[in-house]
Amino acid sequence: MMQSLVTVSQLSKTYGKGTNTFRALKDISFTIEHGGFVGIMGPSGSGKSTLLNVLATIDTPTAGDIHMEDTNIAAMKDQPLADFRRKNLGFIFQDYNLLDSLTVKENILLPLAIARNSVHQMKKKVQEITETFEIHTIMDKYPYEISGGQKQRTAACRALISDPKLLFADEPTGALDSKSATDLLERMQTLNQTNENTILMVTHDPFAASFCRRILFLEDGQLSKEIYRSNQSRRDFYQNILNELAEKSGSHHDTI
Amino acid sequence: MTLFSLARKNIKRNLKSYGLYVGSTIFSILIYFTFVTLQYNEEINAVSDTSQQISSVLNASSFVLIVFVSIFIVYSNSFFMKKRKKEVGLYSLLGSRKRSIGWLLFFENIMIGLFSLVIGMGLGILLSQLFLSLLLQFMGLELDIGFIFSPEAIVNTTLVFLLIFLATSLQGYRIVYRFKLVELFSASRKGEELPKTNYYFTVLGILTLTGAYWLALQDITSEVWGFIGLGTPLVIIGLTILGTYLTFSSVFVAILRVLRKRHTLVWKALHLWTVSQLLYRIKANAKTLTIISILSATTITAGGVVFSLYYNIDQYVEENTPFSFMWEGETEEMDDADVTFQESIQSKTIIDDQDVAEFEYNVINHTTFTQLAEELDWENIPSPSEGRALLINPFFNERLETEADSITYHDHSYELSDTITESILNVDTTGANTLVFTDQDYRELEAEERKFQAVQVSDDRNQLPLSQSLSSETENFSSAPQDYQDTIESTGITLFVSTFLGLVFLMATGSIIFFKVLTEAEEDKDKYTILHHIGVPKKDRNKTIRHQVGIVFLVPLTVGLIHSVIALIAFSGLLQINLVRPVTMWMLCYIVIYTLYYWFSVQKFKQTVL
Repeated sequence: MMQSLVTVSQLSKTYGKGTNTFRALKDISFTIEHGGFVGIMGPSGSGKSTLLNVLATIDTPTAGDIHMEDTNIAAMKDQPLADFRRKNLGFIFQDYNLLDSLTVKENILLPLAIARNSVHQMKKKVQEITETFEIHTIMDKYPYEISGGQKQRTAACRALISDPKLLFADEPTGALDSKSATDLLERMQTLNQTNENTILMVTHDPFAASFCRRILFLEDGQLSKEIYRSNQSRRDFYQNILNELAEKSGSHHDTI
Repeated sequence: MTLFSLARKNIKRNLKSYGLYVGSTIFSILIYFTFVTLQYNEEINAVSDTSQQISSVLNASSFVLIVFVSIFIVYSNSFFMKKRKKEVGLYSLLGSRKRSIGWLLFFENIMIGLFSLVIGMGLGILLSQLFLSLLLQFMGLELDIGFIFSPEAIVNTTLVFLLIFLATSLQGYRIVYRFKLVELFSASRKGEELPKTNYYFTVLGILTLTGAYWLALQDITSEVWGFIGLGTPLVIIGLTILGTYLTFSSVFVAILRVLRKRHTLVWKALHLWTVSQLLYRIKANAKTLTIISILSATTITAGGVVFSLYYNIDQYVEENTPFSFMWEGETEEMDDADVTFQESIQSKTIIDDQDVAEFEYNVINHTTFTQLAEELDWENIPSPSEGRALLINPFFNERLETEADSITYHDHSYELSDTITESILNVDTTGANTLVFTDQDYRELEAEERKFQAVQVSDDRNQLPLSQSLSSETENFSSAPQDYQDTIESTGITLFVSTFLGLVFLMATGSIIFFKVLTEAEEDKDKYTILHHIGVPKKDRNKTIRHQVGIVFLVPLTVGLIHSVIALIAFSGLLQINLVRPVTMWMLCYIVIYTLYYWFSVQKFKQTVL
């Protein structure tokens, strides 16, 4: 069997000290295969954001290991971690996190500039990716001049331009209208299918989740269930997710 | 796109949003450069008798300026860093090493610093002529000094500010290493708890502040001063600072919490919201508000005193030197056209036998006194009776001295019937204390007689050349024009320096409040959107913005004004000059500039949240 892209084992995260502690993640273990499109769902406070932060190296785990191929990123020091992020990870956030002082084009090529690519190469890559996301017409505009959907596509381009092994998306459609959201999700799905980009997405929206191939449900810091899309159509998978959530809210008051 | 071009882009953007900071920095550099240029200028130093003083005043104020500017730059930088936390986090997330981010921030800081330095000094060179003529005007000197340009000043300014910018830029570099990525992205904001009333601190705050005020208003001869001694001013300052801090952190909180309970007052329109906003703000910003209040108080007080001294120069000269010229000895040849009054005065010098200090008194007879008083346009001219004398002492301070009842000379005692605090003779020629005897008593007085000349000339301010020629030919010479010139020179340089220091202080404190307001606006953006959504009309929202911003400006200004009024009352007792008019003028100036800053901040706040 081929090696998994990400192997998470016995991962724990505890906040606070002494008696006033809170265990956000409790001994979580799972793997993500190359080319997977994994969704993480769960009620507020279930630990999904913490899980994403820890996987994305934004936060450090209290215990456990995270292996990405052969590297244990849970044990890495500051500087190698920066290099690792640059080479392997991409990020999309709910609130875009674009830099106001840079144009769309400059925002997108920022990761390449940080990696000190040649100008020629940067131009080429920017051209390619912006055409894929159809924002090549607004390349010289500033973030405040474009719509939310365009901003999120810009952020996606920035996340993908360095060809990361793993793309993290934290509620990427949270601030978008349904048309822009569908558009973004379809593009992510295409990238996943054609380019085999591995994507990890945290969301509470069943519609967004229905684009994934596999969904992990998180509850009280533990994995409670896992479902696969397999050969279902997106609509059927969506129904499937809704049923799962309905079942959970039967035993819980806290729905999505 | 390299690090360099990214930094350049950031700077371009930042120059716009931190314009006020850059402006204040440029202004500080401009003023520092001017001070140093004047200090190095040999022509000014050669021309003025008070050059030693000018140089030391400029030196001291440059130092004060540097200390203040450093604090201002460090403070502003930490403010900008907070604002850019997210941006820094993003660089880090995209895989930039901390060292590169540190360099980026360092580089940006240095570039902005160099930019300010070049502009500041450029303006300084351009405006040096203007500043110079202003200084000469203040000092009452009419000189023609050519274009002043001093390479030493450029070197000095560049070195000093490069050092400051280097230090603050290093601070930016270091700050990156203290950032934790998760702090930058964990969006979960902790709900703040409503500040509680701390009764102990509230009472302590009121006590310390009233204590400080009470102490400041005590007479220098009072028991408290005797008890605490020379440390009293320090005690007053310490108590004031502590009291001000406690006022912001506790007393205001207590007052606002009481206000919140007055439903008829607060449950109206947005008052409820405004009051709770203020509750959080004042408590959280207590330290900044204290610093600004104390700084404003210092500026207003120092400026007020200096401005008053300048304003009262005429009065001071008149007190000290009522006649244009006086000297001891015979008359001198003078152009009759100018002379409006000339009198030879006979006077006898005696020493009070009672007095251990052996004070010299200068005795004149009643006829001479009346003649002189008439020339000086005194409104009521008292006369001594047989065996009694009038005492004239322009420097008499009833707070420091007790009135003497009598003078004893050669076993003869003269009762003092009246003490006059106006000058009848030039103090520098005859000494401060003059006694007026009846003509007969004067004749009978056995003491050595001296002869003085008193001359009044027309347009005496412009008789400096005459004054100088007389000065070289006579003994014990005193001259109103010379006195006036000396006083205006020394007070003028102080006024010049304190005016510009005051302006720098004002600008910097204004900018700090402006940044505070801007941060608040960013934080409150969502809240104002909610207000909009629940249907609060624009008029009401504008009003609460005005209140919110107004308080941040008004509170430290008011506290600063009250502090300085107390301080100036204390000073006016000590210096015996009337401060009301000049100080009011000075305070009005201050308030006007503050109001401009306030207006500007409200506009910016509205732009951000609406």
